[in-house]
Amino acid sequence: MTSVRRIATRIPPGLATFAVGLLAWELLSLFFPPVIFPGPWTLLERMVEIYSDPSSYLVVAQTLQRIFEGFAIAMLTGTAFGLLMGLKRDAELFFDTWIMVLLTVPSVCWAFLGVLWFGISEAAPILTISLIVFPFVAINIWEGTKAVDKGLMEMGSVYRANRSLMFRKVLIPQLMPYIFSSLRIALSLSWKIALVAEAFGAGGGIGQELINWFQDTRVDMMLAWGVSFMIVMVLIDVLAFRLWARRAFAWRPQLAT
Amino acid sequence: MARVRSQPEVIRPEPMACAAIAVRDLTKKFSKPGTDSQFIVIDDVSLSVEEGRFVTIVGPSGCGKSTLLNIIAGIEPYDSGSVQVSPRQGTPMHEPRIGYVFQSPRLLNWLTTAGNIEFALEAQNVPREQWQERVTRQLGMVGLAGQERNYPLKLSGGMQQRVAIARALAIEPDILLMDEPFSHLDAITARKMRFDLMGILAKAKPTILFVTHDLSEAVFLSDRIYMMKTNPARIFKEVAIDLPRPRKPEDPRLLDLERDLVQEFFSVLEGTG
Repeated sequence: MTSVRRIATRIPPGLATFAVGLLAWELLSLFFPPVIFPGPWTLLERMVEIYSDPSSYLVVAQTLQRIFEGFAIAMLTGTAFGLLMGLKRDAELFFDTWIMVLLTVPSVCWAFLGVLWFGISEAAPILTISLIVFPFVAINIWEGTKAVDKGLMEMGSVYRANRSLMFRKVLIPQLMPYIFSSLRIALSLSWKIALVAEAFGAGGGIGQELINWFQDTRVDMMLAWGVSFMIVMVLIDVLAFRLWARRAFAWRPQLAT
Repeated sequence: MARVRSQPEVIRPEPMACAAIAVRDLTKKFSKPGTDSQFIVIDDVSLSVEEGRFVTIVGPSGCGKSTLLNIIAGIEPYDSGSVQVSPRQGTPMHEPRIGYVFQSPRLLNWLTTAGNIEFALEAQNVPREQWQERVTRQLGMVGLAGQERNYPLKLSGGMQQRVAIARALAIEPDILLMDEPFSHLDAITARKMRFDLMGILAKAKPTILFVTHDLSEAVFLSDRIYMMKTNPARIFKEVAIDLPRPRKPEDPRLLDLERDLVQEFFSVLEGTG
């Protein structure tokens, strides 16, 4: 009895709740047909089915490529605008309202506009992603730039550091926490928007799969696609960003990941 | 080179004593935000620091001492008067190099101690092949030999300030500005740091303008003291301290001097109150 208890206390609480959740889900799913509410086991079977077809990997790759292109455009332009607004008062006054306007446009509008302007093409989803993600990145970096330590900037100018040195060694390192949070927000937003944009109009991609299976009322297949892709994105977040952040913030005595 | 205004109390009238820092009739105003009115931060201040001397400005908090240092460092504008900083004599003509030790260390926490010193070296265009030698030498000088690879946040406050001093000395400054560098440290660490600073300066010999509100620190460290009062900031007295080095903080002559100055300080401050 005691040994059972000891083993039980060794199981991490996160894992325990996960297992209980899965069990409850499986039980609940018994009351519904799998095409409406599949259980985790059915879902796993569907995933195996999907990924035993090699062409599925092309579908995933296509969506990933769109996500990364849109994400990269949003990160680059957003960081540039955020820096500009944080450093130059005039730019801040000029762009402030426009960024807010951009932020309030509903995602669906961009998705529609993307299709109308660019048709069924690669440009539509990529542009939709970058337009929606851009203001989030810009605002985040802008806030970060306003929070930089004036004392360190002063120190840099006392020692006559030129602009490039100030950027590399004083400004950007202070923005790293903001850049990392932007990266993570941007990535999670990007992939959600990507699926919507693809569903509206793009040749192929996971969004198209979702729409196709939706028209057949196959919730099991939709979930199988959605969940498997979710796993991919979480892995990217953990492997790329968290490990990178751990290295980038090695100088901090207490780790903030 | 600006001519130093002759002052009756200037001691050590060495022939050709050249002013490394010459401030004349300096006035600085701040405008109150949202109004047209201005208040005077620094009112008609003149001072000079001869090459190789340790000169201290003593004054109460908020009397504009830090603003004065920032003006001399060239990072803050002023309204009238003149400020001249000259490179060491006998060196090839160059922009005067200014080292600055702030109240807090102001280190770049994402760089190692070596990286922090290299930042100043890179900023001053010191050739890269000299970096390693200078980093090692300066860290050794401030008692942090072997700490090159450590990050600032893993060091104590006193050690961080030592890195800041090493950074300032690494550029081989013509003048070194120090703004209450020990005021954030505990009394014991501060005392040790003052001793060590004396030892370091005996070797490096830069011209120093030091700012503090601590009279005993000022009399222990300085060749000369300017006493400043507030509202508006003005120099009201200049005192030479002609005691040989190395000094001991408990030297009765220093203690006597300190007591006299404290009394004078308070009579002036209360008189203006």
